[in-house]
Amino acid sequence: MKPGVRLRDMMRPDSEPLFDITHAALAPLPNQNEAAPPWKPLTEGVRQSCECGLDNTCALNLPRPKSREEEAALVDAFVRGLHKLFEARNNWTFLQPLLLSMEHCVGCQTCADSCHIFEASGRAEVYRPTFRSEVLRRAYFKYVKSGGALSRMQHGDIELSWPLIARLAELSYRCNLCRRCAQSCPMGVDNGLIAHELRKLFSQEMGIAPKELHENGSMLQLRVGSSTGMTPRTVKDNIDFIDEDISEKTGLEVHTPWDVEGADVLLIHNAGEILAWPENPGAFALILNAAGIKWTMSSELVGYDSINYGLWYDDAQFARVALRHAEAARRLKVKKIVIGECGHAHKALAVVADRLLSGELNIPRESSLTLLREIVTSGRLDLDPARNDFPVTLHDPCNLVRLMGVVEPQREILRRIAPQFREMTPHGVDNYCCGGGSGFAIMSPNNFGDWRAQVGGRKKLEQVMDAFADCLRSGEPKYVCAPCSNCKGQLRDLFAYHDLWERFRIGYGGLAELIVNAMRDVKPGFIDWEWH
Amino acid sequence: MNVSVFEVHGKKYEVDEDGFLQQPQIWNREVALDFATTEGLSELSEGHWRIVQYIRDYWQENDIAPMVRRICKDTGFKLSDIYDMFPSGPAKGACKVAGLPKPTGCV
Repeated sequence: MKPGVRLRDMMRPDSEPLFDITHAALAPLPNQNEAAPPWKPLTEGVRQSCECGLDNTCALNLPRPKSREEEAALVDAFVRGLHKLFEARNNWTFLQPLLLSMEHCVGCQTCADSCHIFEASGRAEVYRPTFRSEVLRRAYFKYVKSGGALSRMQHGDIELSWPLIARLAELSYRCNLCRRCAQSCPMGVDNGLIAHELRKLFSQEMGIAPKELHENGSMLQLRVGSSTGMTPRTVKDNIDFIDEDISEKTGLEVHTPWDVEGADVLLIHNAGEILAWPENPGAFALILNAAGIKWTMSSELVGYDSINYGLWYDDAQFARVALRHAEAARRLKVKKIVIGECGHAHKALAVVADRLLSGELNIPRESSLTLLREIVTSGRLDLDPARNDFPVTLHDPCNLVRLMGVVEPQREILRRIAPQFREMTPHGVDNYCCGGGSGFAIMSPNNFGDWRAQVGGRKKLEQVMDAFADCLRSGEPKYVCAPCSNCKGQLRDLFAYHDLWERFRIGYGGLAELIVNAMRDVKPGFIDWEWH
Repeated sequence: MNVSVFEVHGKKYEVDEDGFLQQPQIWNREVALDFATTEGLSELSEGHWRIVQYIRDYWQENDIAPMVRRICKDTGFKLSDIYDMFPSGPAKGACKVAGLPKPTGCV
């Protein structure tokens, strides 16, 4: 426990950081001979104009209120939102697990030992999973349940003030929502959900959300069709380019079908794949065509980008996007939607949207991993595992694996196509988050990228290096298979930050690419290490 | 939105927290040279300009940055060449010099 920081410090009237994470004793890393790059300090301008009273970073760039009145109005808005969180008509989706999480924590701290952020930070008290939850819990008993003196003795007291609320807003963005803690809790308390509900309160009631997720994320997606800014015209143009590029590279003619009515499968990628990892959608097109699947993509607005950032911070934005996805599928009369390699898109469309979509909008949804397994195990592709004869490990995206239980399909595939496949420890539903979960992978304001690479991703970095301990310095390329765009974005930044390619020849990529790399009909060398 | 000011060569530019130009429409070759200093470059070679102008033209036509693969294919430079020329890479380096706003979404 870091001395000094207590829950009551959140109420401190000043706006100075509660502790110095850069000087905290971060958990040691294996094979870390050189010191990690220095952590960029926050600029004076940001420190003067924004709320950064929690730690040494700042994810939200929340402007400081200019007057007492403005502060009071913000506190009132928070209290209003707090009440709404606990009303069935305003929070019918998550009220039940939220109440359970408020009422039943016994303080055993099993969750603390399961949290990668808490561990990586050297057990900084503020990052303890129950620390954030305890603030909300006290506020709930006092302001929602109107608890008196006895309740305050039982549950602890809290006084809602702007400095506390501003710190809490930042603190709701120091959790990856990976829900490893929820899995370990003997009572079923979900501290990840609590962080999510706080983000929701901040966004839905107070208009506070990271620019990357809201303004440049879900708002942009609803306006132009994709959070990447791709319109239906540019996405088709880019896919044309990919088809041509992959055809040249593999020697097989690749063609992506658009807007095919009555197709068996509507494939929706995270559109980030198309721009940043085009070999992934290219590999999918090649595999689906080779396997004879009747599939299509949709050029309907939003229908070609599976991302749904609302999942992380705003139920209303979530619903708007999920409805557009279902609409696109309904209009094409496809038999099912298949979600590309993107974890949060899986959770959004396959799981949470199940509470939203009814009637003819409730179209069957399937993970691309189960479809790929079916294709690979059916023998429809001629595969030569020798082409993948390099060390491969597998990253388990939290939403796909822990949340949805999609554990074996990707492993069945790897066992067939990657002779040097080895597991991380731990793996499967006990995996650790990459550190990019809940939107962090696309958030780098100020020095948040440093936090993400040194704290959020620290545990994953350790796991990756451990998985390749036997060949770390062998000079051969090594592949971290991460079937999730968000995880890939984080691994790219994490590996670059710690120089993993230069030092150990550790790269990363998706699952579909490994399958194509093993296909006998394809020109050898589909995996292009320079790009990983 | 937190707007910062980037001062260089006696001029001031409004930039976002990642240093991308806030008003992409004011971009010209002089602005490119000013932003090139953030990549540690005091001048731009013909190759630099080819990449920067390609990105700029693509953006003006499509309102989005080009795929990196496209930049490589259409300019003839390999990814490693681009990193040699723009140490922060195509998105954070070359696009910034070309005066584009920061790329959005899962890229």
